[in-house]
Amino acid sequence: MTSATKHGPTVAETGVPILEMRGIRKSFGGIDVLHGVNLACRRGTVTAICGENGAGKSTLINVLGGVFAPSAGEILIDGRPVSFSHPAQAKQRGIAVIHQEFNLLPYRSVADNIFLGREPTRFGFIDRARMDREAGAVLDRLGCTIDPGAACGSLAIAEQQLVEIARAISESARILVLDEPTATLNDAETQALFRLIDELRRTGVALIYISHRMAELRALADTITVLKDGRQVATRPMAGVEIDEIVRLMVGRALEDFFPPAASASPGAALYSILDGAAGKLSGISLTLHAGEIVGIAGLEGSGKAELARAMTGVFPFSHGAIRLFDGGGAPQSPREAARRGIGAIPEDRKGEGLGLVQSLRDNCALTMRALAPFLGQASGGSRGRRQIDALLDGVAVKAADYAMPVGQLSGGNQQKVLFARLSGIAPKVWIVIEPTRGIDVGARAAIYAMLRGFAEAGAAVMVVSSDLMEIIGLSDRICVMAGGRLVAELPRGASEEEIIRHAMRHAPVEAA
Amino acid sequence: MRRVLKAMPALPLLIALLATMIYMSPFYQTAPGLMIFLQRAAPLVVLACGTSFVLIAGGFDLSLGSLITLVVIAGAMITRGDATLTAPAIAAVFAIGLAVGAVNGIVVAYIKVPSIIATLGTLLSVKGMAMAWSGGAPSSTLPENFRYLGRGRIHDVPVLGSLPVSVIVLVVVWAIAHWLLHRTNFGSMVFMLGDNPKAAMLAGVPTRSVRVACFVVSSLTAVIAGLLLGGYSGVSVDVGGDYALQAIAAAVIGGVTLLGGRGTIAGAASGALALYALFTVLNLFGVSEPVRLAVQGLILIAAAAFTARR
Amino acid sequence: MTGPSVATLSRRYAVALILFVVSLLFYTVAALQTGQYSQLTFDGFMGLLERMVALGFVAIGQAVVISGGAIDLSVANLVSLCAVIAAYVMQDDPGRITEAVVIVVALAALIGAVNGALVALLGVNPLIATLGTSLMLQGILSVSYHALGGTAPKAFQQFAYGALGGVPASVVSLAAAALVTGVALSHTRIGSRLFAVGGNAKAARLAGIHDARVTIPAFVFSGVMCALTGLYLASRLGVGTPWVGRDGNYDLGSIAAVVIGGTLLAGGRGSITGALAGVLLFAVIDAVVNMLQIDPFLSQVLRGLIVVAAVGLYTFRTSGEVA
Repeated sequence: MTSATKHGPTVAETGVPILEMRGIRKSFGGIDVLHGVNLACRRGTVTAICGENGAGKSTLINVLGGVFAPSAGEILIDGRPVSFSHPAQAKQRGIAVIHQEFNLLPYRSVADNIFLGREPTRFGFIDRARMDREAGAVLDRLGCTIDPGAACGSLAIAEQQLVEIARAISESARILVLDEPTATLNDAETQALFRLIDELRRTGVALIYISHRMAELRALADTITVLKDGRQVATRPMAGVEIDEIVRLMVGRALEDFFPPAASASPGAALYSILDGAAGKLSGISLTLHAGEIVGIAGLEGSGKAELARAMTGVFPFSHGAIRLFDGGGAPQSPREAARRGIGAIPEDRKGEGLGLVQSLRDNCALTMRALAPFLGQASGGSRGRRQIDALLDGVAVKAADYAMPVGQLSGGNQQKVLFARLSGIAPKVWIVIEPTRGIDVGARAAIYAMLRGFAEAGAAVMVVSSDLMEIIGLSDRICVMAGGRLVAELPRGASEEEIIRHAMRHAPVEAA
Repeated sequence: MRRVLKAMPALPLLIALLATMIYMSPFYQTAPGLMIFLQRAAPLVVLACGTSFVLIAGGFDLSLGSLITLVVIAGAMITRGDATLTAPAIAAVFAIGLAVGAVNGIVVAYIKVPSIIATLGTLLSVKGMAMAWSGGAPSSTLPENFRYLGRGRIHDVPVLGSLPVSVIVLVVVWAIAHWLLHRTNFGSMVFMLGDNPKAAMLAGVPTRSVRVACFVVSSLTAVIAGLLLGGYSGVSVDVGGDYALQAIAAAVIGGVTLLGGRGTIAGAASGALALYALFTVLNLFGVSEPVRLAVQGLILIAAAAFTARR
Repeated sequence: MTGPSVATLSRRYAVALILFVVSLLFYTVAALQTGQYSQLTFDGFMGLLERMVALGFVAIGQAVVISGGAIDLSVANLVSLCAVIAAYVMQDDPGRITEAVVIVVALAALIGAVNGALVALLGVNPLIATLGTSLMLQGILSVSYHALGGTAPKAFQQFAYGALGGVPASVVSLAAAALVTGVALSHTRIGSRLFAVGGNAKAARLAGIHDARVTIPAFVFSGVMCALTGLYLASRLGVGTPWVGRDGNYDLGSIAAVVIGGTLLAGGRGSITGALAGVLLFAVIDAVVNMLQIDPFLSQVLRGLIVVAAVGLYTFRTSGEVA
């Protein structure tokens, strides 16, 4: 079975695929993350994998890359079963994974990084000349002009990615996995990457390309595999596939109705308005949050939605833009100021950015209130009294044996509830929450959704940033879609997943290269 | 019972050591004897309470020993044995303590120098200042009233006979430290700062002010410890010695974790008492200085290794 | 692409060059101002270089350890211990010089290995591990003055006072050690691995590098460097005293010299030339303090301030919290 594409001749391939993954299952702590995924790749082809966040793509790659072993199933290379317990072993078999976060040494040269751990030597000393020469040769093959002697940290992201790929080639990778490689590239760099992928394909490398950008996949991929909820729902040859079909496969599921009803009244006063705001990679942001409404911010990886929330809560403040808050002032310049003025911010990573895992529920709950009170005030006095703190915790229905226990021992859902309890203590007028139900079980989710609607009904403005489309659709009164650091669409309640993704994927490489 | 143990993990050790001490020496079988023990242990207890703030916030304060030395020498040089100058001398040493603590805190919180380096630098500078001031060989003595905190006694106390003032100081400092760390907003922020500094910052905690305050607290306890030590030992070239590390070891024995975020004042204080009791027992056994230091080193390492496992 | 261009080279050594020039300028100006022209003769400069030797060896060892992502706070007491034991074993007998050197170097290597094992195998924070070792060494030192008295024979004092063509033997040794270490760091696989583990331990592990095999030798090397300083001091002073390490502030001094010279505290980048330039700066400060007749204790105050300021120059740009 040959695989010809529109991009010129490829190595004709008959017989055994270079890579096969059969029935891969993976569970963590009793929870299944992958349910029997099958994948086959042939030499000189590009296999695309797509799926929503949480569909299992990263886990599958980690299994392939040797970061962990599958709970069940097997991996075959050239028809022979292999197993690895360490990434170095996967590398020896010719598998190279280019992650979204690079593993480079910033202070060492490009050549040093490419040859790390296997530097060529002469009489016991590193043969720098040969190393630079060979590094240069690989880089040439990849069509780039990076100086092998330059420090990796001084290169642009796109160039660093090329160094990672150069390393993989230099280590004779035959199977190359690229995880969302264009997330941080501009159009020109993306075109260069495509040319490189073509070149690699010509030399017989099997590529696995993970992305959600349909236009790219259309241009590159030979086959496409869709993952959803840890299952492989489809594998099709790319030719003749419609975007709609893919999207439907990625996203379609029954809308379980455990979302609270829509807003009972029309939106009230504007509580947070941004005109033409810019911060970091965000630009041209114009958004207004009104009392009584829940605004959902949707977008795919790299769209900047979390950055928007962080800019609005003072973590990385806006550098430009006309911003007005309900108290008449401008944008908050620090998280402390945001809290003081009445913005309730729920961070993205509840463990790393939200809670002190060793501290008790009470202490975690009371933190912001205490931080805003005088230093020498009684920690559990007055409105921060133990009864009041307990009342806040009761209010979010957190399930814990004892409010004095360390919060690290709670389940994810209960930990998240503690964060909500904490911010409730300052009675925010504006809630800005990022990924409120990531990694949380169904029961806790419903409770959190009810809480968010409750805040809105009580007169606050609620903004929810989420990668979970079902959540966005079920909760929001209005949906704003982000792509490439800009707000690209505003959709009313009742918009479909397809519509949202279509807008979110609008960041396609320019048609006329 | 379990809660008491959780707050003061060194308690069983302390009791065992005290029992050994009392058993081995008739001196410690009397109330005055035990009072002398407390009087001598007071500086370490006070210092352990103070250094706990910095430890729980996630840092280290290695400059406390040299600060103690500076306090004693400053006392001697300002008063020059004249009792009327005691008040200004005491005011001066507290001002010095405040300044040193503030500098430590600002260097760590604003200039982001790791506390180990910052306080090692302060250690050098403060020791240098002390030496420069006294010309390397302090000759003055401290007036009696300056030494009151360390040497004074209150007589005709029922049951105990005479109560050393240091013991009162110990109790007062313990109480204030306990209140500050466990009852105030500041204290709860210290815990969160050590547990998850990023979360603390995002939740609105003024992390830099809290850190500076922690260093100021530990420096002030060093001033008090200096007054106590100067009181009963008098002036000497290196009064403070390795008190900083001893205080850290004491806190660690008492349950304060080196990673920050966990510990109690009661634990640190009981750890200090246990450590001092250990030294006393070793002394009674005729074991000397090097073993004491070796034991300290081992404890520090063991504590760190144990925490790493967790 | 053969070797680095002149531009790259000068950029790489920029920090060291600047420090070098600034220090010498400072020194020359002070000498001229105080009329101590003898300081500016060949002998004068040799004297300046001699001031570098003791801290120099330790700084080389520290640079290696810090480049690998750790830190060694036990150096001061280790130096003292080596000096004391050297004098003790020699007991003023030239025949026992070799024996003493072997014993001291072996002992220092062993202690270094212990440090390395604590850090790499038991996962103890390097600060705490080496502080703990330092305490234990202090214990031994406190008895040593009476129990381990001894003197170094005249023949051994050649190390400190001998000269090769006018250049002191000690300076030549330091230069040799620096050269060998510098070359090893930049031109051998060992050096490459050290920077990898220090720069990004995860990347190093993925590349198949075992961090224990890098960390333990690094600490052993640091120990041996301390032994060299200890031997030098015993040779120079004739006796080994247990406080010579503390008094010399080798712990903070070596860290400061290394950091000022461009080695990152976090690891991953390091420069022996830079470390020596930092040591030169300190030597110049000492010399100038001498020339200006500043109270030596005040100079210690100055040193403390300079150290913190120098490290601060690198760290103040850090974002995020630091404890």
